[in-house]
Amino acid sequence: MITLDCDDLFDTWRQQARWLLSHEVDPSRVSWASEGVADLFASDESLPAAPGPFMARIPRLLLDTLERAARYRGDQRWSLLYEVLWRVSHGDRTAMMAGDKLGSELQRRIKQIQREAHHLHAFVRFVALPENEGPHYVAWHEPAHDILHSASEHFIGRMGRHRWLIATPRDGVYYDGEQLIHQRQCPVEWQQLAQNVDDPHGDMWLTYYSHIFNPARLNPKVMQGHLPARFWKNLPEGALIPGLITQARTGKQQDGQASGIKGREGKRITLAYGVPDTDSRETQNL
Amino acid sequence: MELIDKLSILADAAKYDASCASSGAPKRSSEGKSGLGATDGMGICHSYTPDGRCVSLLKVLLTNFCLYDCQYCVNRRSSDVPRARFTPEEVVTLTLDFYRRNCVSGLFLSSGIIRSADYTMEQLIRVAKLLREDHEFRGYIHLKTIPEADSALIEEAGRYADRLSVNIELPTDASLQTLAPEKQIGSIKQAMQTIYTGEQTVLNEPRAPKFAPAGQSTQMIVGADDTDDSTILHSAQALYGNYRLRRVYYSAFSPIPNSPKSVPLAAPPLMREHRLYQADFLLRSYGFTAGELFKGPGHLALDIDPKLAWALENREVFPLDLNRAEASLIARIPGIGLRTTERLVELRQQRRIRYEDLARMRCVLTKAKPFFITSDYHPHQAEVTSHLLYQQLRDRPQPQQMGLWG
Repeated sequence: MITLDCDDLFDTWRQQARWLLSHEVDPSRVSWASEGVADLFASDESLPAAPGPFMARIPRLLLDTLERAARYRGDQRWSLLYEVLWRVSHGDRTAMMAGDKLGSELQRRIKQIQREAHHLHAFVRFVALPENEGPHYVAWHEPAHDILHSASEHFIGRMGRHRWLIATPRDGVYYDGEQLIHQRQCPVEWQQLAQNVDDPHGDMWLTYYSHIFNPARLNPKVMQGHLPARFWKNLPEGALIPGLITQARTGKQQDGQASGIKGREGKRITLAYGVPDTDSRETQNL
Repeated sequence: MELIDKLSILADAAKYDASCASSGAPKRSSEGKSGLGATDGMGICHSYTPDGRCVSLLKVLLTNFCLYDCQYCVNRRSSDVPRARFTPEEVVTLTLDFYRRNCVSGLFLSSGIIRSADYTMEQLIRVAKLLREDHEFRGYIHLKTIPEADSALIEEAGRYADRLSVNIELPTDASLQTLAPEKQIGSIKQAMQTIYTGEQTVLNEPRAPKFAPAGQSTQMIVGADDTDDSTILHSAQALYGNYRLRRVYYSAFSPIPNSPKSVPLAAPPLMREHRLYQADFLLRSYGFTAGELFKGPGHLALDIDPKLAWALENREVFPLDLNRAEASLIARIPGIGLRTTERLVELRQQRRIRYEDLARMRCVLTKAKPFFITSDYHPHQAEVTSHLLYQQLRDRPQPQQMGLWG
């Protein structure tokens, strides 16, 4: 058994895999230490440091595919990739395809990765730090896979010249207005900045969220499918969700109006006065 | 009135419009530039409300004061609802604030009709213009178009907005006359035509200013009158054909407070709306026509999906051999989607397709099983009558607990 450690870095794994392949080491003889089996099956064989004779030819697409799948955190993170590499380099391209047993697991991981990147794009919530010398906007996010670095480039286009920071329990990114800096271990100061920030103007968004909801169409199951509960605690609107569901249930979902609107005085418009002119004081005093 | 009060009233008034898509815009980026915002064609759902709907855009009305008296609408002039009006600057402030927080990808702005159609349209355009020109906002903008507005105004709107939409509201002229007397099918279609022409004009002109690059959409209200699904989908099909609409949205009529007698007190089953969306998807992406889905007037079945219903009506097409059949036919097998079809075609170039491949691709095998053949599988259900298959495959509703107070 050969046990390797790639420190969860794709490039390191790639070097190791290239070397293993050149010696035609069968996937059943290798495991990677980060998978928690290092102590149980410590390496009991060794191979020469020089590359072996086998020259593998692999499609270029495979390398991209493997790099993406490598962002998946989970069992056999690296050995699965080696098994795919082994089979494709020995002429079996089905190992990359969803119809194959191994290929379908590979594709499932890639799908999870894309989904998690999408979750980052959707559910990061920036809070402003006006006057700050560092980031103007900070966010705390807890991704389930190693997607932060690659997926956060998305915000460079969105945020223009603003400086922003996203901290997670593991890594962190900071865009300083010119370049994106990734720290594999998120600095404690970043984490504190992102977790302790005050948001004095957060109530606008909460108001919007609770009023755009249509209680007559209550469907919490569909919501949870799209917005998994693990994200609720870091979303400002997350705390509103249980209350809105209960309110809709007890209000028997009669109509779509939010309860805060229902109690307020209404205004019918009569055409007899001609066209209502709404340029009244209300809009002037703001 | 405080801004937050206006927001609560004008968001509450806007929730009946189903669309919240932010997809289809061209690539724009603010990297290294002043201003804010990006689009890349993909929509983002930034949140979901407990009704299962996506929050992608700040969806508000500029005002819910309205001269019209559309019976199904909570903002009709005879409705006793609180009223408010944003200034264009207020909408701009809210959009930019929500955008920076990453709560939305842009703005979807609509309005009640005040003073005149042209005046209302001018106000909507003013918001979009402020965002694009004064604030260099590159995020998504969807403007609702007031059908009676001057076509020059609609053309101007198209230069600022990614998407324009004119609501058809009701699928037939007769129902429009009864329920929305101030609206006319003629002006609605005229506005769609203006947008369509605008899109066509810049089509092969890379240097022309963009015109509503994410196209136009519309919304139909379902269940406010007794129009059947067949009429609805035939009318959707005509809209897709005549004006190249990107989407037709179906909005199940939602009961409104102090509902007038002309509209029902209860909502249609949400499943009806769901079936319409499924059928609509079959029209847009699977190559079905409305005529194939309906033999005559009537509704879609609620207990089976429209693709399964079609397969049961057309058993002579099945079972299909997955190793030989054309991709467009494979996509017609119930339980097998476009993505799976693609994967099957990819796989069969490498080797024969077997039964267990389908399980791995996570297609809905119980539905698909009677309709395909692989090298190691032939359906024993191939001889079973459609009626029996229907009994086996239809959805059985979960028993519902009654409310304690009825």
